[in-house]
Amino acid sequence: MSEAATERKQVPLKGARLRLGDSPALLGSRCPQCGEHFYPPRYVCLNCFHEGLEEVALSTHGELYTFTIARAALPGTLMTPPYVIAQVRLPEGVSVATVLTDVDPETVRIGMPLELVVEKALVDSEGNDLMTFKFRPAKEA
Amino acid sequence: MGERVVILGVGLHPFGRHPEKTVGEMARVAALGALKDAGVEFKDVQAGFCGHVVQGVGTGLRTFGEVGLTGIPITNVELACASSSRASMLAADAISGGIYDLAMVIGVEKMERGLLSGVGGAEGGYQSKMGITLMPALYAMMAQRHMHLHGTKHEHFAQVSVKSHRNGALNPNAQYQKALTLEDVLNSRMIADPITLYECSPTTDGASAVILASEKKAKQYTNSPVYMDTWEGGTPQYVRGQSDFLEGPNTLLANRVYERAGIGPEDVDVAQVHDAFSPGEVFLVEELGFCPHGEGGPFVWEGNTEIDGRIPINTDGGLLSRGHPIGATGGAMITELTLQLRGQAGPRQVKGAKTALMHNAGIGGVNVIAFKR
Repeated sequence: MSEAATERKQVPLKGARLRLGDSPALLGSRCPQCGEHFYPPRYVCLNCFHEGLEEVALSTHGELYTFTIARAALPGTLMTPPYVIAQVRLPEGVSVATVLTDVDPETVRIGMPLELVVEKALVDSEGNDLMTFKFRPAKEA
Repeated sequence: MGERVVILGVGLHPFGRHPEKTVGEMARVAALGALKDAGVEFKDVQAGFCGHVVQGVGTGLRTFGEVGLTGIPITNVELACASSSRASMLAADAISGGIYDLAMVIGVEKMERGLLSGVGGAEGGYQSKMGITLMPALYAMMAQRHMHLHGTKHEHFAQVSVKSHRNGALNPNAQYQKALTLEDVLNSRMIADPITLYECSPTTDGASAVILASEKKAKQYTNSPVYMDTWEGGTPQYVRGQSDFLEGPNTLLANRVYERAGIGPEDVDVAQVHDAFSPGEVFLVEELGFCPHGEGGPFVWEGNTEIDGRIPINTDGGLLSRGHPIGATGGAMITELTLQLRGQAGPRQVKGAKTALMHNAGIGGVNVIAFKR
């Protein structure tokens, strides 16, 4: 069904605040008053209470703040154990709760450099690709 | 300072798996136990507070209604795993402020078997689809950080569970009354590294009840009151550049309680801390000031938190072994500390305990309470 295929859209998975397209990135907030960044986005700044934060694309590289290897899964998750749950610290000072991919869980170490990966999670009832994000070990520059 | 508050009576329905029992039945057993313990008739109770999380609309009236319909105001209180300690604090606030002389708290929960999902799980979005909301994972990530920064070993965390189960074996109200070896804990199924199955608190059915009175009112019932001396509740604070995921500012709250109670951590004879997962006790011995920052692992490993140690913690088995029916847990913590301060804790008794500290954390807030006799 080539016609359906051409109409197929990419949409972020609910709760994944993503810029899709050629240069995918997480969309967070930046406070125009004090410069603090947040992910997920918010309206009021937690640092200075300024209202009306700006949407901003966040760095796609960060480092591993902490992690665990999940050996059991809750019902409804797309992940198959074992998988790595991670807190990734971005240069903006933001921590992102996510999962790691393309890595042997046993080799994961706090402080390792990571990069954003955007991939298809599911297809919704209208045939759209629901896109999610993970992080993976950063490729050597 | 208002009226001093006395814990006049405590009661529990044994914690465990009770699929055949209703929430009302369990609450009734705990409530009647507390009334008898206090020597109080329900018709004299002026207000009720019910801590529960997932029992539905009207649980307060439904549970208090098991022991009487006297027209008193009853308020439902939800603070996840810290619901009934917060309910007790609200009752104490009202007594301290002179509004009531006699109030009662019921904490109750019936839980499904299996893993608990944390914040955000219900909304079915990114966090739940990607499997991030797994509750043990939250503690596991804090544990990994602690291991990274301070060299804490998995054995240190596991020892918490060994100690808890040894204490639970002395508690007829505990869900697990069987001692475990370090090997049992380390070799049980890994859930979220470094946390194994026996380092997770179970899901539990159970109920607790606490009767609180003004000092003046309490004199009608007892000559040796246990005081709920000082209490502080709080929520996480945003601090620029910090991104730890504590449920609240534990150290700040403890320091406020110590200051207002005129004590320091060295004066605490027995404590209850929130060990939903074994690393919890390691973090909290540091955050409550019982040992220096970063040294919680060795401190626990060396036996300092055993019943005969420097600061006995979770003498009733804690969440890990006594069980964790989330809405009832705070009341069970208060129950154990009250028994300890009265000298009624039987084989779990800490000799000469006069001052006690409770720390109970839930998603959405933390409670710290000091008790004295």
